[in-house]
Amino acid sequence: MNSFRTKMRSKAFSEELAEEIIQSNSFWQDARIRFFQNKMAVLSCFILLSIVLFAIFGGYFAQWSNEEIDWSVLGKVKTEGMPSIASGHYFGVDELGRDLYARVVQGSRVSLSVGVIASIFALISGATWGAIAGYYGKRLDAVILGASQITTAIPYIIFFVVWQAFFGRSTSQLIIVMILVNWSAGLFIVRGQVMMLKEKEFVDAARLMGLSDFQIIRKHILPNMLGIVVIYASLTIPEVIMFESIVSFLGVGIQEPATSWGKLIAEGARTMQFGTLWQFAFPAAIFALTQISLYYIGDGLRDALDPKDR
Amino acid sequence: MLRYSLKRLLVAIPTILALIVIAFFLMRLAPGGPFTAERPLPESVMKNVLARYGMDQPLYVQFGTYLKNLFFHFDFGPSFAQKDRSVNEIIAHGFPVTITYGFWSAVFVLLLGIPLGIIAALRHNGVWDYTMTGLAIFSQIFPNFVLAPLMVLLFTLVLGWLPGGGWNGGQWQYIIMPAVALGTSYMASVARLTRGQMLEVLNSPFIRTARAKGLSERTIVWRHAMKPALLPVVSYMGPVFVYMITGSVFIDVFFSTGGIGQDFIDGAYSRDYSVLMALALLYITLTIVLNLLMDLIYAWVDPKVRSAL
Repeated sequence: MNSFRTKMRSKAFSEELAEEIIQSNSFWQDARIRFFQNKMAVLSCFILLSIVLFAIFGGYFAQWSNEEIDWSVLGKVKTEGMPSIASGHYFGVDELGRDLYARVVQGSRVSLSVGVIASIFALISGATWGAIAGYYGKRLDAVILGASQITTAIPYIIFFVVWQAFFGRSTSQLIIVMILVNWSAGLFIVRGQVMMLKEKEFVDAARLMGLSDFQIIRKHILPNMLGIVVIYASLTIPEVIMFESIVSFLGVGIQEPATSWGKLIAEGARTMQFGTLWQFAFPAAIFALTQISLYYIGDGLRDALDPKDR
Repeated sequence: MLRYSLKRLLVAIPTILALIVIAFFLMRLAPGGPFTAERPLPESVMKNVLARYGMDQPLYVQFGTYLKNLFFHFDFGPSFAQKDRSVNEIIAHGFPVTITYGFWSAVFVLLLGIPLGIIAALRHNGVWDYTMTGLAIFSQIFPNFVLAPLMVLLFTLVLGWLPGGGWNGGQWQYIIMPAVALGTSYMASVARLTRGQMLEVLNSPFIRTARAKGLSERTIVWRHAMKPALLPVVSYMGPVFVYMITGSVFIDVFFSTGGIGQDFIDGAYSRDYSVLMALALLYITLTIVLNLLMDLIYAWVDPKVRSAL
């Protein structure tokens, strides 16, 4: 969506970067130094880490569980359900009288894990197809590139809604669709690198030793690309989280009693007019913090890696 | 140019045809359907219901009828869930709404994004430049589904200036928030892209030559820098339209505009396959057509592409 993301996804940039990585021995070292000089990126890493820790361990500090209904405030949510340390509802309660703090922890877990799981599989798929395209080239390359262009030209939500209508709504279906939609994540960069790597002597040597194409790709080429694929995760994860949030907001994603940031934001937005603003503010703030830290991390990585901007 | 357009059309048409085939068979072969309720209908009733929708015939006959109706009468058939409405009526009712605020949103994106980007580039590192960077980051943290509630909170609940939803025949008050909420993040991207391109162009040798010739800054910007700087923006608009279509589904639902996004989501809930498929086809056709249009404009504007055709 952003121009820098578009740039990292572009073919020309990927090929340039691939050349730089392979030619320069100290590439990763330099990149690391440049990244850690970027203060916003480092700060964002800490914020993101705290959000992850909040999702994992936040539940231990909750006074209420995420299912328990606080009957004493039900019906009086506006006047008595607000955030307070005394009542144990740190973030207030939602419209059903459930503890919002516990719900936000629950939603963060779902959103983050869906984002991470779907991104990992999408990247595995993207890297594999990219490796095939780069290694074999020619017709196969053209077909794979064409297919990736077609998928990016389809509004993903259309595909998603149709899929969920046919195959039922569940978290696992949600993850499957997100992998399908993002199947070409990181494809260009891996393709570019493989195109360079396959001309290297060690690949020739492997071929002379009689290794099959599959073995060469798996043992000699893919391990060389782990770094860049991990970095691509920083671009894919926020997009997947965004995707999950928007479909959950629309009510076709995560289903009750499970929840996610998008769903919590939707509930908050619906009840906003009754004056219970915290129901919108807390999930939206955590969502926004996650997005902005991932944005700065991505930005920092781009700057650290960009072969031109030095 | 003509040959290029024809070639692109020749790719687009089979794509849409293939989509129709896939859509139809998915629709009919999917497990369950609009008539499967928790308490199943008696067999005789079910038979009548299926006959009413022509679903008792063999699949290929159904497919033939569907295609015939679609191509000769442009008829998507009846809605399975909304008994008294045809799919065509649903589209005729909702589509103009979505297109109306979508159009104004695109106007907002271009008419605000491009000037903002140019000003930011001309006042590099000035106030406008920082404002714009701030805007870009803002749009990143507040995607449309966070921005829209925030706007409703501010303009409807606190200030009371604009209605928080509905359509009311498309009065301007009802269009503003959907159009702005849909467009803001793309407006920021367009501004950012324009700024980057403009900076690059302004630093290029031919602009230095123009400066050396003593041309006024205005002539340089308007006559020489503008065109090459805006080219990438044109090619970026294709993907932007794709995202905007996605966003419009959300806007329709959130602002209850009565646009097709709401029918689409309702169709998914009630497994109203005829509505669902027709709208999916409509969305995708729209995407393909808009992308094609943008590519053609790009080819038409860019002499490098034009001569290569």
